[in-house]
Amino acid sequence: MKERPITIAKIRNGIVIDHIPAGEALAIFQVLGLNALARETGDIIAVGVNFDSASIGRKDIIKVENLSLTLEMLNVVALIAPHATVSRIEDGEVKEKNKVTIPQEVGDIVICPDRFCITNHEEVPGKFIVIDGEPVTLKCYYCETEFFGPLIRYKERRSL
Amino acid sequence: MNFQGKDIISMKYLTREEIDHILAKVDQVRNLPEKGRLCAGKVCAMMFFEPSTRTRTSFEVAMRNLGGEVGGFYDRKITSAEKDESLWDTVKMHDGYGFNVIVIRHPLKGAARLAAEAAEIPVINAGDGPNQHPTQTLLDLYSLQETQGRIDGLTIAMVGDLANGRTVHSMTEALLKYTDCRMIFISPRDLAMPRFLIDKCRKVGAQRNITVEEGSRIEDYISEVDVLYMTRIQVERLEERMAVVEKLRSIYRLEAGMLRNARPTMKVMHPLPRVTEIAPDVDATPHAYYFEQARNGLFVRETLLALILGAVQ
Repeated sequence: MKERPITIAKIRNGIVIDHIPAGEALAIFQVLGLNALARETGDIIAVGVNFDSASIGRKDIIKVENLSLTLEMLNVVALIAPHATVSRIEDGEVKEKNKVTIPQEVGDIVICPDRFCITNHEEVPGKFIVIDGEPVTLKCYYCETEFFGPLIRYKERRSL
Repeated sequence: MNFQGKDIISMKYLTREEIDHILAKVDQVRNLPEKGRLCAGKVCAMMFFEPSTRTRTSFEVAMRNLGGEVGGFYDRKITSAEKDESLWDTVKMHDGYGFNVIVIRHPLKGAARLAAEAAEIPVINAGDGPNQHPTQTLLDLYSLQETQGRIDGLTIAMVGDLANGRTVHSMTEALLKYTDCRMIFISPRDLAMPRFLIDKCRKVGAQRNITVEEGSRIEDYISEVDVLYMTRIQVERLEERMAVVEKLRSIYRLEAGMLRNARPTMKVMHPLPRVTEIAPDVDATPHAYYFEQARNGLFVRETLLALILGAVQ
């Protein structure tokens, strides 16, 4: 394999989200509201796309120099990247490493695909029940529409 | 089982035991001598953002029959919703006016669930767009039970516009909570029962000995069914294809002469309004049951109100 010297610098305190399927990092960036986090805290966030991976061929990776993201908040990553791992780095050491698990319910991170749903007509924060993990299938709590695949469109989280 | 203060939003969240409990209560409440005092002093808010004939009238009469009162509105145009007031705010406001229960109809899916979140008092969904209309399904189930003495083991043919009909979707899902039923979906190919629902029937039905089949002619099944559930071809969904509507209406039309080989106990049901799908000459046959079915809506709604307001258990 060709030598590919580009890497992302190590972080001293923060979270590393690894084993993201290539091309999905930006969706995760949106769902976690990392733009808002960067803007409001000034913390550094590095996104790497198309890194070599022994297990999944190519992967994306996100490093966040901030410890406020809890594992519970990070579990939504599993909807997009079911095999992602989350490491908590403190003082340059890996303190904890976990696999994300698909939550049973998620909040206002997805747009209900049914145009007749009340959430698409009034300012109502969405709520979705995860009814299947393989493939990820969601049910809108309000209109009961079940959907999966490309119908799952993630929203950008605009504040922390 | 206690329904006091409970919201009734979707059939999907009612268990078979809860449905059976409600249906059993209907017979009791409709004949109670003290029925006229059960909900004395209680007020029901009717929030109708969309037109309705049977649902609205029967809820109103039901509440009055129980000794209660009704308030609210029946036309979105006379409310502040016309000034873009949100549903959340409209419900919150009604919630604070001292009503004891809200009955809501709204053109958008999920509106009743949102109303239930906004309100402290219980909410009954009287139809949220094409999504759910649980009191219709309960009155349909009650009508099956009343005419056939059971729901398990029935053969039911659903006829007409099965693609767009909320009642037939809801009925199909409800029947999946029972056992040994045979469901026959009779429709033109363009208006067939949605594939996902047929798949669900096959998957869930396998464990409950429920079978489904699809057909295209009423005559092929008329001698085999316990209930023929007719539905209207929804013109509003096929607007630009009036020629198709006319053709389908002539094919999916039940006439008295077709009932010759029907079982003596077979009943014809219809959620109403009917247009041309049931000829008037069927009304005089012993199979016609749609007007009694609509009347059952009154009894079912009385019972639900009494249960939710804690007047019966």
